[in-house]
Amino acid sequence: MSVDDRRKLLNHFLAALAYRTQKALRDAPSDFGSFRIGEGVRTPAELVRHMASVLGYARTFFVGGHYRPEPLASFDEEIQRFHDMLGLLAQHLRNGDSLLEGMTEERLLQGPFSDAMTHAGQLALLRRLAGAPVAPENFIVAEIRQERLGPDQAKPVSPDKIWPEAPKGWQGE
Amino acid sequence: MSDTDKRSLLRHTVATLAYRGGKAVLNAPEGFDQFRANDSTRTPGQILAHIGDLLDWGLSIASGKQTWHDSKPLAWEEEIARFFTALEAFDSYLGSDNPLHAPEEKLFQGPIADAFTHVGQIAILRRIAGGPIRGENYFRAEIESGRVGADQSTRRVEFD
Repeated sequence: MSVDDRRKLLNHFLAALAYRTQKALRDAPSDFGSFRIGEGVRTPAELVRHMASVLGYARTFFVGGHYRPEPLASFDEEIQRFHDMLGLLAQHLRNGDSLLEGMTEERLLQGPFSDAMTHAGQLALLRRLAGAPVAPENFIVAEIRQERLGPDQAKPVSPDKIWPEAPKGWQGE
Repeated sequence: MSDTDKRSLLRHTVATLAYRGGKAVLNAPEGFDQFRANDSTRTPGQILAHIGDLLDWGLSIASGKQTWHDSKPLAWEEEIARFFTALEAFDSYLGSDNPLHAPEEKLFQGPIADAFTHVGQIAILRRIAGGPIRGENYFRAEIESGRVGADQSTRRVEFD
């Protein structure tokens, strides 16, 4: 199996993660970062920090050392750090950098990459619980590109025209 | 780029979904399928049914006969069985010599990534409902391509 081909698909995974995370965060209420639905449940800011943390942990298998991100002053800064980490990680994949300690592409996928994707879904659920749900779309036609990993993600290509659970006043994207 | 290599990694993604999804849904508290965090959210039963629909949709795209069906939630144990059955059908197609009628990237960014996000939602609903799943170092999990049924490895590195 060619490592290069696997890494290209992993890069696409990171791009899809960037897209879905922004989908869950775009136009969120100003206080969404500190929204807490219950004791022991992470806030959105804590979730985004954790996503940066697991991706940073993944990066240590390219560069060594440890990665434990400290809380930042604002939610926006947490989001930017997450996207920065996506970019750094993707660069290692694109460069063909060696993995340390017997790590493999499959284990990157099943561990931190998948972890982060599940948390993107949790951000979307918290949006709904916070009273500001995210409109559905057909993701298979979404404009997801491997080089687009920052906060500036494309708008939906095919937003759902019917949204049974839409909040009052929703008029489509 | 070799489609076979990408296809192989996509199968590992499906196996990961089986492992993580199974962990989120198995051994849930009694009545969890009907748990509603507030009036506007789906129940875990509805989310799991949607995941089943996504996997069926993914298979239909892969096999060139795209169809979408909104199913009504089954009883929780039946819905779990459907989840694994849908995974097995999807994985079986991916593991065959039959042609893929959509690029691996599209299959991933659509139904598969969607299913992962919903597994995450079921996991957080378990925590909100007071029956959280244990944390785990998934790096070390025994996830194997093709192992997509309910019989997942029990040798886990878990923590609270």
